Amino acid sequence: MLAVFKKELRAYFTSMTGYIFMASFLFFTGLFFTLLNLGGGSPNFNNVLSNIQFIFLLAVPMLTMRLIAEEAKQKTDQLLLTSPLPLRDIVVGKYLAAVSVFLGALVITFLYPMIMSTMGEIAWSEIIGGYIGFFLFGCALIAVGLFISSVTENQVVAAVLTFTALLVLWLIDAIIQGLPIDRTSGIFFAGALVVALAAVIYFTTKNIYVSAGTSLVGLVAILAAYIFKPAFYDGLMPRVLQWFSLYSRYGEFDMGVLSLSPMVYYITFSSAFVFLTIRMLEKKRWS
Amino acid sequence: MIQVENLTKRYGQHVAIDSLNFTVDSGEILGFLGPNGAGKTTTMNILTGYISATEGRALVDGVDILEEPEKVKQMIGYLPEFPPLYLDMTVDEYLDFVSDIKRVSQTDKKQSLEKIMDLVRIGDVRKRLIKNLSKGYKQRVGLAQALVGNPKVLVLDEPTVGLDPKQIIDIRNLISELGKDHTIILSSHILSEVSAVCERVIIINKGSIVASDTPDNLSKGLDDGTKLLIRVAGPAKQALKAIKEIQGVKFAEAQGSKERDTVDIAIESVPEIDIRKSLFYAMSKASYPIMMMKSMGLTLEDIFLQVTNQETEVR
Repeated sequence: MLAVFKKELRAYFTSMTGYIFMASFLFFTGLFFTLLNLGGGSPNFNNVLSNIQFIFLLAVPMLTMRLIAEEAKQKTDQLLLTSPLPLRDIVVGKYLAAVSVFLGALVITFLYPMIMSTMGEIAWSEIIGGYIGFFLFGCALIAVGLFISSVTENQVVAAVLTFTALLVLWLIDAIIQGLPIDRTSGIFFAGALVVALAAVIYFTTKNIYVSAGTSLVGLVAILAAYIFKPAFYDGLMPRVLQWFSLYSRYGEFDMGVLSLSPMVYYITFSSAFVFLTIRMLEKKRWS
Repeated sequence: MIQVENLTKRYGQHVAIDSLNFTVDSGEILGFLGPNGAGKTTTMNILTGYISATEGRALVDGVDILEEPEKVKQMIGYLPEFPPLYLDMTVDEYLDFVSDIKRVSQTDKKQSLEKIMDLVRIGDVRKRLIKNLSKGYKQRVGLAQALVGNPKVLVLDEPTVGLDPKQIIDIRNLISELGKDHTIILSSHILSEVSAVCERVIIINKGSIVASDTPDNLSKGLDDGTKLLIRVAGPAKQALKAIKEIQGVKFAEAQGSKERDTVDIAIESVPEIDIRKSLFYAMSKASYPIMMMKSMGLTLEDIFLQVTNQETEVR
């Protein structure tokens, strides 16, 4: 794992990617620090962190687009996958390298609160809470990018898809606001989920019976839930989408509160996508 | 050393390889021959654990690739069709990385890399970026990569493709050299290459093995007569007549004239009789001097075409 980690880290800084990422990240952090803290005379650094979140939309694809897509394109995945290294080590090594570059940039921005601390009292614990949240948030988005990079062989496609995915995640709270919450739409939504699941099963296993069985079980479950607990469908669609709302869980960190549940949420989210990436590569081997 | 049993790979409806069975003994150099798309690369990818088979299994040194992939991968060095090189690294950095992922111990690393670089002769480019190397050097760096970790088995997918004639000879000699203490599977569609280095050849077409033998036996087995091409100075008709009278000649045909006042004649004879001597006396008696005589024994090329064509006809 260490070998892959070191190789990826070096790849970031032998190409432009690492530098462009660092430069743009530091530029925007510096800009908002100057505007909000220095210009506005505010000691609240968490405000800067929550203001620069938009940069993830551009910075994360930059960081992750190459990771796996390029290996597949250059056929170097043949080297990695035929080496005695377990797949898990390869993927985790790559993920950690991307996270490290992000962490490196983040550590540099720690200069700003330190500069502020020379001018007066600042709330360190709040700032550290904000940093932890910001870091975990970034890790979750990088995991999404990593996964998307394993789906395609084309870096540009990976970048565009990642950007789109992050944009949807960014907008998801706004989308939730506008969704219907009545019972009928909840039922239709549940039905659509079942159909989608059956389709995924069909395309991965090519087994029509398993797929049909899954949809049958799903439909029976929908019916059963409708008979015994119809309230389940009230606002189902917003509830499900809420699971993917990464941004809304940032709120507590923003206030400097270090609470367990969003931390666990981000870590679980990241692990799930790293795991999916491993499965994706595994699946490519079998198809 | 390597056992392949009923190996099948299907991509949806398409059958890439269809229940292959073969074994490779320890220390053997096996040639894998077949037209493009015959399933050579697929077989190699399965053997090295890059992709998995739909059915059947492959054992290396008695270990199933699916059950203990890490153990098997440790024993195999693979040079894929396109050498898996990181273009932004120098040769040194690259081989260092490969050593790390192949779990070469830190103490042996330097020494073993020196040895490998000596063997494939890339010492002079070690500080250069791989993207700036010529095709021949890239191929050799790819070969070096396969040798890292001193695997018992080498799987080489078209190792000489895209090289110039001198480089081809170099790589070929290197493979023969490596064959002394490695088991090697080599694929190619260049036939002379296979006959030059391999002890045994498997011809594969459309996913199935159509022939498997030593290069010599293959040419013997398919040889159904001896063919000669001669050029005599004299009139075609009379010469042909004289030749047809020789005992053992099955067939003779004039093939036009390539030199002034001469004629080229293709002769086929029964395999039991060597007609060359009687041919000489017959021509000498008729005073048609023989300007050239050449045996047209089946080359691996002919065998290959014959075998792969038979296969198509059967289907």
